Amino acid sequence: MTRMRVGSLWLVFAAFVLCAWQSSVWAQGTSEPSLNAWLMRVHQASRQSIYTGTFVVSAGGSMASARIWHVCDGTQQLERVETLSGTPRAIFRRNDQVVTFFPQTRVAIAEVRESLGLFPNFLKSNASTIGDFYRLKELGMERIAGFEADVFQLIPNDQLRYGYRIWSERKSGLIVQLQTVGTDGKVLEHAAFSELQLDAQVDVGRLRRMGSTDGYQVQRPHLQKTTADSQGWILSREMDGFKPMVCYQRQGEGTGNGAAASQNGTMQWMFSDGVATVSLFVEAFDRKRHVREGAVDMGGATHTVTRRVQDWWVTAVGEVPLLTLNAFAQALERKK
Amino acid sequence: MTDLKRDHCEWISALGDGELRDDELANVFDALARDPTLTTAWHTYQVIGDVLRSPDLAHSSDGLAFLGKLDARLAHEFAASCIDQSALSAQGPVVDKNEASRGVQIAANESVFRWKVLAGVACTALLTVVGSSIWTPPSTLADGHVASIAADSQALKQGAVVVESSAGTMLRDPRLDELMAAHRQLGGHSALQVPAGFLRNATHEGSAR
Repeated sequence: MTRMRVGSLWLVFAAFVLCAWQSSVWAQGTSEPSLNAWLMRVHQASRQSIYTGTFVVSAGGSMASARIWHVCDGTQQLERVETLSGTPRAIFRRNDQVVTFFPQTRVAIAEVRESLGLFPNFLKSNASTIGDFYRLKELGMERIAGFEADVFQLIPNDQLRYGYRIWSERKSGLIVQLQTVGTDGKVLEHAAFSELQLDAQVDVGRLRRMGSTDGYQVQRPHLQKTTADSQGWILSREMDGFKPMVCYQRQGEGTGNGAAASQNGTMQWMFSDGVATVSLFVEAFDRKRHVREGAVDMGGATHTVTRRVQDWWVTAVGEVPLLTLNAFAQALERKK
Repeated sequence: MTDLKRDHCEWISALGDGELRDDELANVFDALARDPTLTTAWHTYQVIGDVLRSPDLAHSSDGLAFLGKLDARLAHEFAASCIDQSALSAQGPVVDKNEASRGVQIAANESVFRWKVLAGVACTALLTVVGSSIWTPPSTLADGHVASIAADSQALKQGAVVVESSAGTMLRDPRLDELMAAHRQLGGHSALQVPAGFLRNATHEGSAR
C-alpha cells in the first residue's frame, strides 16, 4: 500500500515536470519561432504562389522598380521581371535558368543560377548554421500592399552581418517586404511590393512566349567552375559563419574599361552565411586602372573594398558591413 | 594780473566760445604750453560753463591731476608695449598681454563659494552625459574573433576612401559596376533569395551588363 502511494507520488511529480517542460517549449515557440522552419515556410510560399505585382527597391538614395509576373505548377517556376526604371530590360526565369533581355540592343544573356535551387535542400540538411548567427524575433502584424503580414526580425549575433526585417503575408507566407538593417539600426535598403495580386490570373502560355529569344542575339557568359585552391588562393582565416559556396573563372566578359582586365580572366569566389553573400574577385593588377585601394560606400547595403595583393587586384563585394569585407580582403592570400 | 595776462585770459574765454581765428589759435596754444596758470584758467572757464548749463555738472574733479595721471599711464604702457614687441620677436608667439592680464582678474563672485559648488556639479553632470553617449558597451565586439578582425582591418580602413553618394552608378568605376552586377547575378546564396532576393537583384541589377 505504501509502495503504491510512493509510486503515485512519483507519477504526479513526473507529470508535473512534463507539463512544465511542455509549457516552456510552447512559450519558447511563440516568442522565438524555429528559424529554419520559418525560412522553409517563406521559401515554399514563393514556390507555390501565383502573383503579379510591382516591386520597388530603394537603396542609397536611389530607387528602382519592376513589374513582376510569377506562376508555378509545383515543379516549374516561371517568372518575368520587367524593369520600370533605368535601362529597359526584362528578366525571364525558369527555375534556375535566367535570361536577361535588352530590347534596345536586341541582346539576351542566358545563364544558369545554381544558387536559386540551392536552399530548400540546404535548409533541410544539417549544414545550415543560420541559427548560430541569427535569431528570429516576431514583431507583430502590419498591413502591406493590401495584405495582412506578420513582421519578423532576423537579428545578427555579431557585427559581421546585417539584420533584416521581413514582412511575410499571413496566409501564404510570401515575403512582401524586406528591409536590410545596419549595425546601428538604420535601414540601409528597402525592397517591397507596392502593389500585389495574389492568386492572380496569369496567361502561362503568354508568359512562356515572353521567354523566347527569337530576334535576340543570345550571349552566354563564359563561366568555368574552379576552386580557389587550384587558382593559387587561400583564405588565411575563416570568417565566422561564412562558408565558401562556389568559385568561378570568368573569361572574356566585360565591356569598356573592364575588357582589358578580363582578358586574363577574373576569379569570383563566393561565400555565404546562409543569408548574406560575399564575392571575392581577383584579376590581374593594372597600374592604370587600379589606382585606389580602399572602400566604397554607396549608402545602400552593398559595399566594395579593393586591395592590391602582389600582382593581383582584389575586389570584395557583399551585402555585409565594411568590417567584414575588409576582413575578407585582408585574409585573401596567395598560396606559397 | 598784467595786461598780457588779462589778454590771454580773454583769449582762453574766446577759445572756449569758439571765437578765435587761426593765427590767434596758434598764439593761445603757445601760451597754454608755456604758462600753467593759463591751463588752470582754461579749466576754470570749463567749470563756469558747466555750472551755467546745469548745477549737476558743478561737481568738478581736478582735471589737471587726471591729465597728469593719464600722461603717466600712457608713458608706462608705451614702454611696456615696446618691451613686448622685443620679447615677441625674440620668443615667437606669445599670449596677448591684455588677454593675460584678463586671466588674472578676479571674478566679481570669486568669494561666493556656492558658485564654485554649482559649477563643479554642472561640469560633473555634463561629463557624465557626454561620456555615456560616447561610450558604447563592448557587447559582441568583445568577442575575440570580431575584435581581432576589427583590429586587423584597421590598416586597410586607414587607407580607405569612402565615397558616399546618392547618385548611384554615375560616380562609380564602370569595372566596379560590372563586378557588383556579377555579384548580384551569382551571389544570391541566401535563404531569402526567393523571391525577395532575386526580385531585389533583378530590379536593382543596374545597367552594367
